[in-house]
Amino acid sequence: MPERARPVPFRGGGFAPVAKRGTGIAVFALLLALIEWGTRAGWISNLTLPVPSDVAATLAGMARSGALWTHLAPSLVRLAVGSLIGVSAGIAVGVMIGLFSYVRAGLVPLVAAIFPIPKIALLPLFVIWFGIDEASKYALIALGTFTPTVVATYGAVDNVDRSLVRMGQSFGLKWSSIVRKIVLPGALPGILSGLRVSLAIGIILLVAAEMLGAEHGIGAYILQAGSLYDLERLFAGVVILSVLGVLTSWVIGRAERRLLRWRG
Amino acid sequence: MTDLTRRGALALAGGAAALPILGRPALADTKLTVGALRFTSHAASFVAFERGYFSDEGLDVEFRFFQAAQPMAVAIASGDADYAVTAISGGLISLAEKGAARVIAGALSEEKGIDGQKILASDAAFQSGLTSPAQLDGKSFGITQAGSSFHYMGARIAEAEGATLTFKPLQKVGAIIGALKSGQIDAWSIVPHIAKPLAGSGAVHIIGNVADYLPGYQVTTVFTSEANATGQRARTEAFLRAFARGADDFNAALVDRTAGEAASEDMVRLIHKYVYADRPYEKAAPSIINGAMRINANGALNKGSVMDQLDWFKSEGLIKDSVTFDTLVDSSYVKMV
Amino acid sequence: MDLTLQRIGHRYGGMPVLQDISLRIPAGEILCVIGPSGCGKSTLLRLIGGLERPDEGEVLQLGDAPEGCLNPLTYVFQDFALLPWRTVEGNISLVLEDHGIRGKAARAVIADVLARTKLSDFRAALPRQLSGGMKQRVAIARALAVNPAVMLLDEPLSALDAQTRELLMEDLVALWERQRFTGVYVTHNLTEAVRLGHRIAVLSRRPGRLREVIAVNRPIADRRAGDSDLDALQARLWDLMKQEALAADQELLDA
Repeated sequence: MPERARPVPFRGGGFAPVAKRGTGIAVFALLLALIEWGTRAGWISNLTLPVPSDVAATLAGMARSGALWTHLAPSLVRLAVGSLIGVSAGIAVGVMIGLFSYVRAGLVPLVAAIFPIPKIALLPLFVIWFGIDEASKYALIALGTFTPTVVATYGAVDNVDRSLVRMGQSFGLKWSSIVRKIVLPGALPGILSGLRVSLAIGIILLVAAEMLGAEHGIGAYILQAGSLYDLERLFAGVVILSVLGVLTSWVIGRAERRLLRWRG
Repeated sequence: MTDLTRRGALALAGGAAALPILGRPALADTKLTVGALRFTSHAASFVAFERGYFSDEGLDVEFRFFQAAQPMAVAIASGDADYAVTAISGGLISLAEKGAARVIAGALSEEKGIDGQKILASDAAFQSGLTSPAQLDGKSFGITQAGSSFHYMGARIAEAEGATLTFKPLQKVGAIIGALKSGQIDAWSIVPHIAKPLAGSGAVHIIGNVADYLPGYQVTTVFTSEANATGQRARTEAFLRAFARGADDFNAALVDRTAGEAASEDMVRLIHKYVYADRPYEKAAPSIINGAMRINANGALNKGSVMDQLDWFKSEGLIKDSVTFDTLVDSSYVKMV
Repeated sequence: MDLTLQRIGHRYGGMPVLQDISLRIPAGEILCVIGPSGCGKSTLLRLIGGLERPDEGEVLQLGDAPEGCLNPLTYVFQDFALLPWRTVEGNISLVLEDHGIRGKAARAVIADVLARTKLSDFRAALPRQLSGGMKQRVAIARALAVNPAVMLLDEPLSALDAQTRELLMEDLVALWERQRFTGVYVTHNLTEAVRLGHRIAVLSRRPGRLREVIAVNRPIADRRAGDSDLDALQARLWDLMKQEALAADQELLDA
């Protein structure tokens, strides 16, 4: 008599996250609705959280009165100038560390020493070095974005497939050609993912940079709202920073898709 | 313990520890946390504590020290401190508007004839002609934050002189001092015990008195949480009584100097336990004496000055227009002058 | 252009990997180098092409490279070494750009080598779109583009499956027939050695010494899988290597 046939039990599956469209937005909306209800009904005190719709109204009011732009424009300039200086210097130094043993031996410990310093602590010093106006703010953001860019860049250069470099040498390519055509493109993915971190740090430091002597700017706006204990404005400012973060991340994502098409 | 008085019931409702209600004083061993800054302007609390005025009222006071007025206001709102003294700032008004804090009495105030807050100019600005507040037009003025008392003073001085100032928020008093010394900002105003040593060093010059522009300026006030102001009447009154006795001693010893030399030295020694404690007495004493400004007798509050401050905050858009004097101040405790 | 190896010796961190190797590589001939793994075959190839300096002895080049030769000693690597961000065409143009060959001249060279490696239809493809065999054909096309005097092939078929390997061997034979390049072909695969080598150099296990050089007389174009004389030769090579390979397998890598 044949034995009873039964299907083999399935034991695989799971452990493979799949993108579920809209889930993130749904969670976000649910959370907002909950807070809206709580703050309106009163079981979340007005000292704990602002009413989300009031925050939205504050944002809309800012947009209407032009205050949004008054604060956003100087912040964007500070972020752009500061991170441009920091990131380009960081890439240059990172590539040098990746290529030259003496530069590596000399600068890696220095970068490791600078990296963990809370840049905010240096702000008063920067004010003395660069003055209280824009230059000290640029310097703070530049220094903050510089170190992570250096670390990401030399890591990326180190990870460039050495067999490709040997190939270049075996075909008699010039040193400059090897750097330009093999090392830099090979390091680009690592540099770009480092850029995500660097720019996020830049946005964080924006608030710090605007602690000293800034009349306008999103960071100054948030600090002022905090000192006035004005939760609607505080959160409106935080929302603007978040949007700024999402936007930069999106732009880098676009750049990655364009520049790294070859990765498939 | 069946015979609960109204006072005891309120105490329980307020969430405080249950109080033994028998015997004198009525509030025996009531634990209180008082927020303070290590400034001479907070001396009334220190005196009341050291001389046992708080214990006389049955209050067991514990100090909680802060680095700035702003976190102290938040600590009152969160219930981490019961009473505190600070300048009227946008933050304090916002907390009052949210029903979290109330001003209950006056503390430090400007008075003509008594050394009060000074207007300072950096050496660089002074050398290039900023020798009196009349030349302030186009200069930069240091403030901690928008809506701080420094902002208010600067704005009112500028208004009186018809000057336009650029306000530089620098978050901390230390940062402002650094910026003023290095000439990054042109002007500032500050209490005399900070102003005088700075001017003595030559890096900074005193160019005027705040009192000339804001006579009777109610610089600091006593404030507490809404729950204490309305629910803990007896306790709050007891605190204010003790505070006023401390203020009287302080005024007599250092402001009016009616108590004699010995009393004034005693007072300085007492305050030195809290203020400039890291400096030797000989160095600390002049600073403490310099910082002596009038603390309102019996906690009286200058209503006109508070109204003026409220109006200014509103005109700057720093607080809501719906805020009134009564939103901020619970005027049932002390005399309004 | 001939190459001569004179008493080559090399060590890594004090450990000898090659000892006393003398060889002559005449023009127009393919020399296969076989030996157990770790015997220094690939090191030898890097020494021949000047990517590393030998500790002892020297590699000499006799005569000049022929006219139009851009890179006399040209490698083909086991892992193809294609730039993933350049197309097939771009990978070939990479090795021409530094020699000032651009535009029309470059296009002509590229079209020629792609035709010779049967890749003309894949000019614009990226490496990730190609199979392993195609990638290696691109690498070979790139090597041909610089018109090498000597091709240094480092296990070029080892990363490929058996069928692709067979096809590519035939391609290599056809390419050699068309233009008789000099080749040094390092492999651990004995079939490749007997099919492609005019002579086969057998190295001992580490430190690699030259054990024997065997000439294969049948013309390359006439060799087929299953030829009995080739099978016999392969068996003989295996006999030579078996003990060495067994012993090499028992050694600790960094003992």
